[in-house]
Amino acid sequence: MVAPIQLVVPGTLRYRALAVRVVAEAARLVSSSALRDPKDPQAHDVRHPFDTAVVSAFMEIFNNVAIHAYQRNGEGSIDLAITPGDGELIIEIKDHGQPFDLDNVVPLPSELDEHTLPEGGMGIHIAKTMLDEMTYEPGPPNLWRLCKRLPAGDHSHQGQQKTSGARRS
Amino acid sequence: MASQLFDVVRSGSETKVSVRGSLDINNAAALGDEIDKITATKPERVLVDLSALELIDSSGVAALVKLYKGVRSIGGAVMITGARDQPLAIFKLLRMDKVFNL
Repeated sequence: MVAPIQLVVPGTLRYRALAVRVVAEAARLVSSSALRDPKDPQAHDVRHPFDTAVVSAFMEIFNNVAIHAYQRNGEGSIDLAITPGDGELIIEIKDHGQPFDLDNVVPLPSELDEHTLPEGGMGIHIAKTMLDEMTYEPGPPNLWRLCKRLPAGDHSHQGQQKTSGARRS
Repeated sequence: MASQLFDVVRSGSETKVSVRGSLDINNAAALGDEIDKITATKPERVLVDLSALELIDSSGVAALVKLYKGVRSIGGAVMITGARDQPLAIFKLLRMDKVFNL
């Protein structure tokens, strides 16, 4: 097990993009996906399904911490420990804000049409569905633990470029 | 109206909204404000081009749902096109791809 990548950011949405970029890079370390355009650092390139899943889930949990734990008040920090492993990525997200009632999340409608399209409450569903494991321990500190694994067979390619795109330097 | 996040072009009874980059909790409200203006014009048809959209979160999805419901509630038609990569994966996960005909 390698040492985790550690990042501490203020508990506000202002630092979300920074954290997302770090998580996206960590995901690419595991999926070995190439950037579409390495010359465009502003691009959000998460085409690989593994990167898509990790970044999508992380964005929702970061949102949740900034909004629910810290009530958008800009106080506190979000402590990230990101561990790229052999075919898996584990992200621990720690905060010292209000605990979140995960059991009280309303499920999405079973039948979806234009009248039942939800306008909220989708974040936890996205995170949970995208990941292989998601746990939450209310605190303080509150601790989210996200785990995503590459499908069996895929992680034998770890460390190799799987696309014909530009090589990462 | 043009912004870093979206362009809105009105042509007769049709409005085209092009969204680019990341539509998320930090900027979805800006699109929401524009959606209010769009629905106020009672367009017959709204085209939403997501071909340049790279990332979306649940707040971004909520903004697009607001647009869809708002236009449909006044009898207009909404066509969403061009979703790919992470945004398309999110719409599929939420089963909205069927509703939006993606």
